[in-house]
Amino acid sequence: MENNVYKVYEDEIQLLEEEIKLLAEKYDDLKQESTFYSDEEILTSIKLFQKEFQGESKGECPSDLKAQLESLEREMSFLMKFTGIHFTSHSKKTLEKNENRTVQKHRLSGNCHSLPFQLEFQLLETQNKENVSAVITDFNIRMESEEYSDLSKFVSSTEKHGNLLLFFRSLSSYAEWYEHRRCTFLHFKAKYPDVVALPEGQLGDYMILRNPKLPGFELMIVWKIHIDEEGRTTPVLDLLTKVPEQVLERKMAPFENAPTCFRSMLLLFGIETAIENLIKVAGLEKSIPALLTRGSNFKSTFN
Amino acid sequence: MTSAFPLLPKSWREMEKGKSNSEDGVLAHLERLEAQARESALKQEEKEQQEQKLAGLKARVQELRARRDELRAKLELQQKGLLEKEGVETDKEQPSARAVLEWKIRSMKDLLQLFYLTGISGKLTKRGVCFCISTAYEGTYLHSYYLDVLTKPEVQIQRHSVPTFIPLEQLARKHLQTDIRRFLAVLSDHLNAYAGRRYQVDQLQERFSDRLEGTLQRNSLCNLLVFHYNVSGHSGSFLFSAKLLYSDPCCSLPTEAIVSCTPNAPAELAEMAAAHSETFRRLALHKAFDSFSKAEETQDQALISPPGSPQ
Repeated sequence: MENNVYKVYEDEIQLLEEEIKLLAEKYDDLKQESTFYSDEEILTSIKLFQKEFQGESKGECPSDLKAQLESLEREMSFLMKFTGIHFTSHSKKTLEKNENRTVQKHRLSGNCHSLPFQLEFQLLETQNKENVSAVITDFNIRMESEEYSDLSKFVSSTEKHGNLLLFFRSLSSYAEWYEHRRCTFLHFKAKYPDVVALPEGQLGDYMILRNPKLPGFELMIVWKIHIDEEGRTTPVLDLLTKVPEQVLERKMAPFENAPTCFRSMLLLFGIETAIENLIKVAGLEKSIPALLTRGSNFKSTFN
Repeated sequence: MTSAFPLLPKSWREMEKGKSNSEDGVLAHLERLEAQARESALKQEEKEQQEQKLAGLKARVQELRARRDELRAKLELQQKGLLEKEGVETDKEQPSARAVLEWKIRSMKDLLQLFYLTGISGKLTKRGVCFCISTAYEGTYLHSYYLDVLTKPEVQIQRHSVPTFIPLEQLARKHLQTDIRRFLAVLSDHLNAYAGRRYQVDQLQERFSDRLEGTLQRNSLCNLLVFHYNVSGHSGSFLFSAKLLYSDPCCSLPTEAIVSCTPNAPAELAEMAAAHSETFRRLALHKAFDSFSKAEETQDQALISPPGSPQ
């Protein structure tokens, strides 16, 4: 009978200890989440902290905190540089917490290479026997969709499925292509300033080739970066031709072949070489009139 | 003799009867008294210990209750205070430098933890980096895989937890030395596709076990599945067999889905099998089965109240 009496008290003690632990964690969480110190405040504190302990030689090494901070900053800097994902701001709020389950609401902003993003999501972490499982819900993505209209379908699909991981993986790959396109456009603009024009700038998705001696003729290289719902990124290039009216009345055939030729060049030589070849042709004075008289020559100029 | 000690217990008197030497009897008697005293002292001690323990437990409970109530009040105050403040930076006392730094450290640790949600994270080690590739299916995070990479004398993988059926060596030979980011991205594609396929099979077996007949056969890479499932048509329930082939290791949808029904099945089922094959190629396994169930529900409803019939 005595054992039972003990057990009642011991059980209550255990429950109370667990409750106290949870309450203390909640208090600390709330304190952490509702505070914010700017980088200047952090720097000031580091200096103050060092001064406080300059004269004393206490047990706990005062530079420990500073060392810890530096080590964390090194890790953060490495990860951001390596993945190309820079977080610029983060706020977290613990909505629910008990022994097995934590629900947190996160607001995260940053850039993936040059593409900015703003995310909001809820993270549910459940403790089971061996590990912690994580599930994302209420996922919201905000990107300046005007500039990145290619992304809108992908964004709404990943939002619907809470696919945070896919968002980051695909955004990285999209951003790399975006950057590659930007660099390629800039490269050709710099190399052939008379022929190449970027009406929408380096961040646009097309470039125009003009021959200064032959006004009215334009070749437009459109380079879209397609991203499907599974997050797979593929570049899609095409060639559009603009021919002045007088020429339209004469032969159109050579220009009809141009886009097909361009596509085969892309497959054979890759993007840079295909564009370079096209620029060289567009820049040649004689080539375009010659094309009109001898239709098949457009193809032969690339052989 | 026995009457000399009338107050002694009967047993003792019996014992005294047998004693010839009265001295022995007294000694023995004294010994017994001593033993009895010891015993009752022990019992008393035990009783006191129990009472002490109980008192101790009671006190601890009181102490903990008080602490718990204190924390509850503190938390309530904190929450009220935050509601009132709402963005205004009024601190009763200036936080100590230590408190600010501890805040920053915790804040950074929280942010570093988020990196695992992005797919590729890692920790710097003495001789290189330990990378962690996380996998997920839609919003559910699945298994994480680790690679311990050394950077000197050249980039090499010292240890890893990648399963053997993932072509790690092949990918490493192709990309590791030239572009480690690309290596990790491609490896992540393989791992995520595998994790996604496995998740779909697990979901199928968990949620649609009543539809499945027999055991589902699969290989370790989960890119070849063979299973049998029930389909109910107008004329009853039929068995379909499905063979799904995922020839793209980085894709979690099958490239080929062969669905067949028994040869003597009615014609409409052949159509259904073709439709199912298309569905398997388009939707995840468990979602495909969800759609089959929905189709059957609407079919049942149509039978119960066919369109045009009086309600």
